Amino acid sequence: MTGQRGTSASRSVTSEPIGRPAPLARQESTATRAVQTAERITTEWGPTAGRILLGLVLAWFGYHELVHPSLWTGYVPILQSTSTAAILAVLAHGWVLLVLAVALVAGIAPRLAAAIAALLLLEIVISLTVTAGLSDLTLRDVGVLGLAICIAGAKGQRLLLTS
Amino acid sequence: MAPKSPSVGPRGFAVIIVAALAGILLGVHGWSARHNGGFNALGATHPPQAKSSPSSGPRATSPTPPSHAPTAGPSRSAAGPLLSAQSYSSYSFQVWPGTPSRAATAAMTGLKVSVKRQGSGISVAAGVVGQPASAPHFYPNGARVYIIEASMGDDSNSSDYNLGDDGLVVTDSAGRIVQ
Repeated sequence: MTGQRGTSASRSVTSEPIGRPAPLARQESTATRAVQTAERITTEWGPTAGRILLGLVLAWFGYHELVHPSLWTGYVPILQSTSTAAILAVLAHGWVLLVLAVALVAGIAPRLAAAIAALLLLEIVISLTVTAGLSDLTLRDVGVLGLAICIAGAKGQRLLLTS
Repeated sequence: MAPKSPSVGPRGFAVIIVAALAGILLGVHGWSARHNGGFNALGATHPPQAKSSPSSGPRATSPTPPSHAPTAGPSRSAAGPLLSAQSYSSYSFQVWPGTPSRAATAAMTGLKVSVKRQGSGISVAAGVVGQPASAPHFYPNGARVYIIEASMGDDSNSSDYNLGDDGLVVTDSAGRIVQ
């Protein structure tokens, strides 16, 4: 009985420090728990959310490049934008983007898919920088490139289609 | 410790193959419609989309090969619908008459629009920077020239990377589309 009383007193001292009102301490405890929960959810689901969102970006661009290739030939470096070769390059690029998008969204070898996407985006960033200089468009792609690199290096993905 | 190799599995392979086939089909569709994109410049081989579908936005049509003699085909003399009644009117920026606004200048990024006084009217030519401009066309006095740009987000520095949302519209003095 004595030991139990002592334990109870000890717990009371630990949870409510001397000189601090109990409601404030409870609020801090609640806030701490909320932060910890948010951290846990972000850690567990952040890479998955990033992977799926990156996949959606690639899917959007891949689809439109495949359906309306002539609208995107302006991005093709070196080649004349009205040439057949530029159209074929856009179609091939769109096809790769679409397959990568499906792999990312479905969780099929996501790190490999993100690594390939990072290479594609790096090529795009370099190409845009060379042709048009550092611009808002280029920096947007730099951000997407960073996301792809993060996904390529992230472990602990969820919602994977592995078997 | 070496990283674990990605495990795809038969279902993953099946999904990838389906996606690849879907991509090929879309690519075939895109290839067959490859001529339906680009800047809707003067001298287009098709009438403006606004004439056939008032609810649609500005659409691109194929530019014709350039020539340098101003022309005024009979089909261009017939006035069409009011520009203000079109769904894309909010994306139109006047470039003639007067000095183009900052928005109009931004909308013209990657494009070149030339308007010159010529006798009792104006001569208008347009095209994409780096490519031959369309043949100049003549319009009587009172004509107004507008650039259409649905999204400025695809413009960067002096380049417009997506010409699908760009176009040029000429109206008569009453605001009716003539080109």
